[in-house]
Amino acid sequence: MKAVVIGAGRIGCGLAGQLLRSSGYDVTFITRNPDVVKNLNFNGGYQVLLTTATECRPVTVDGIKAIASSDAVAATNALTQADLIVTAVCSQNLPAIAPLIAKALSQREAPANVIAFENMPSVGDCLRRLVASAMAEPGQVDKHGFSGAVISRMVTRRVGDPAGQKPLMFVGEAVEEFVVDRSALCAPLQKIRGMKLVNDYQPWVLQKLYTFSAGHATAAYLGWLKGYHYIHTAIHDAEIRKAVFNAMAEGQRGLAAKFGREFARGRAGLEATVARFENANLNDPIVRVARDPHRKLAADERLVGAGRLAEAAGVFPQQLAMVAAAALCFSTSGNGKPCTACFEQSQTAATLNEICGLDAAHGFGRIVAKSWAQLAPSLLPGNLLLSLNQRLWARV
Amino acid sequence: MKIGMLMLRHPPTRISPIMPAVVGLLKNWGCEVDIIYPEEKITLLSQVRAEHDLYILKSGTELALSLAGALHAVGARILNPYPVAATMRDKIASMRVLEAAGVPVPETYITSHARQLADLLDAGPLVLKPYRGSQGRGIHVIWDADELDDVSAEEGPVFAQRYHKPEGEDRKIYVIGDQMFGVRRIFPARTYEEKIGQPFTIDEELRQIALRCSRAFGVELFGFDVIVSKGRSYVVDIQSFPGFKGVPDAALRLADYVYSVGQRALNGETIFGMSVPAQGKAVTL
Repeated sequence: MKAVVIGAGRIGCGLAGQLLRSSGYDVTFITRNPDVVKNLNFNGGYQVLLTTATECRPVTVDGIKAIASSDAVAATNALTQADLIVTAVCSQNLPAIAPLIAKALSQREAPANVIAFENMPSVGDCLRRLVASAMAEPGQVDKHGFSGAVISRMVTRRVGDPAGQKPLMFVGEAVEEFVVDRSALCAPLQKIRGMKLVNDYQPWVLQKLYTFSAGHATAAYLGWLKGYHYIHTAIHDAEIRKAVFNAMAEGQRGLAAKFGREFARGRAGLEATVARFENANLNDPIVRVARDPHRKLAADERLVGAGRLAEAAGVFPQQLAMVAAAALCFSTSGNGKPCTACFEQSQTAATLNEICGLDAAHGFGRIVAKSWAQLAPSLLPGNLLLSLNQRLWARV
Repeated sequence: MKIGMLMLRHPPTRISPIMPAVVGLLKNWGCEVDIIYPEEKITLLSQVRAEHDLYILKSGTELALSLAGALHAVGARILNPYPVAATMRDKIASMRVLEAAGVPVPETYITSHARQLADLLDAGPLVLKPYRGSQGRGIHVIWDADELDDVSAEEGPVFAQRYHKPEGEDRKIYVIGDQMFGVRRIFPARTYEEKIGQPFTIDEELRQIALRCSRAFGVELFGFDVIVSKGRSYVVDIQSFPGFKGVPDAALRLADYVYSVGQRALNGETIFGMSVPAQGKAVTL
């Protein structure tokens, strides 16, 4: 069985490639970075460092090949012959690779499955539409399967210089499970290590987004406000730890109301998630987790989506609102420094509506607007929040 | 990450929970932390080499400072670099650095015999401090020339500053990376509770002073003492690794900072805006 992984980054190599290879697939990567192509082909593989809070286990992934995406002929040929196509390029890059997938699928007789390892709701449908719109005959897309993948593993960094000769290493968690939408697939799919096929896919997407991702974002945005550098350090702050629990619990209560209490996993699930954030071996910088705040603040995403679902369940999502406000305060601007430029009291309603799809005058939008107005005026350069509970800042 | 901490063992009666907590957190995060007590062993100087990715000079003893100098000479990366720690230890040198950087400090005089200061008392009282002193020890406010006779000539250079009667409590400003913290406390603080003091928010004037101190010494981990007199702020002391007592979540913030600097050192990146010497390579003093 042949698999092509588009994207040779943290998730492409650190998760998809490793699990596919260990399941017996021949794996070819397509990537736009020519140095990574050279390095992977020179070494014929790479390493994945699988970590928990207490141990690290290196795993060698060998027998792989890589093709530069600029080599359109070779890339198309590989995709045309693949039994399985995986994308791991970050969701914002899907439009750029859709034409390549469209061209390859147009040349195929047999149906193929495409699994998008992207952290985005409805990503399978999104990619299907992008590919269809890039086809001369959009109807050709119907015979192929498109699913997202809800992945559990955090892969936080790549170690090594792609331009060098030493094998690259990807550092991530040991957890292997990922969930795929069985109903969206078109043909039998050979078993892949860690893959869980489900028919009710959407709840799994929301479960991850509204608990794990909401908690991760909470640690990142509040950790940033309080001046910490890493997720594993911020989670040791008692206030942040409590906020992470509270945000995930609010999301969980919304999930329980919509999908059932058993599905929401309970307090044990939250504690297990917090324990993952303590994993110092991941060495995960806060600015990495906090980046791209506008995407993470979208209406159906981890903070606003979770808040709205909680609100619909009769929960007052105060913690999620506070984190959403912190995310609004965050601007990466290359170095994660505070930026108040986007906060104007008179513009709050328009900004909330534009970024979050929220009405600042009602419900969850109103709580977010209030929290934002409390935080933003103190976001001076170099300032930091000393106490979340007391709203005590280091500087006036 | 291997971290070497130059420490002084305190008596069990002294409450100092911050550094043990810092060490505990760093170990919890997978760092190998070696506590080095220079006073408790014989060190063969020719064998001193950079065996850790990062050193921290916490101890305030002369031996620890000199050992840090020896480590610096063989290219060790020290969180609070030896030249800065040595300069801050010497009030004569550090006050001049601060003054040259535009930091408000009291008028400062040095001499070898206290008696020579007598004429200066016409303009008001002076504060005499041990020029390498710390923690408020040995400080005297001199009002009359007769009191100068009590100052021993054997204690080295005489360091004197114009006395400005403080209004309210002393202020300690702590800087950890790009973070600043203000703690108000009585002087001299004797009990642990007094040393913890009360946190206060830093105004723009103090922030600018802290930035000038940071730029003057090229470091981002230090503390300094400020008194306010007649509405004016004066920096009266600066330390390269203070106790950080009273800083909210001090141990966690320090551990986070040490860890992030250690990562930068491991990656061969610059720390404190200075290039990191290659491990083991001697540097020019």
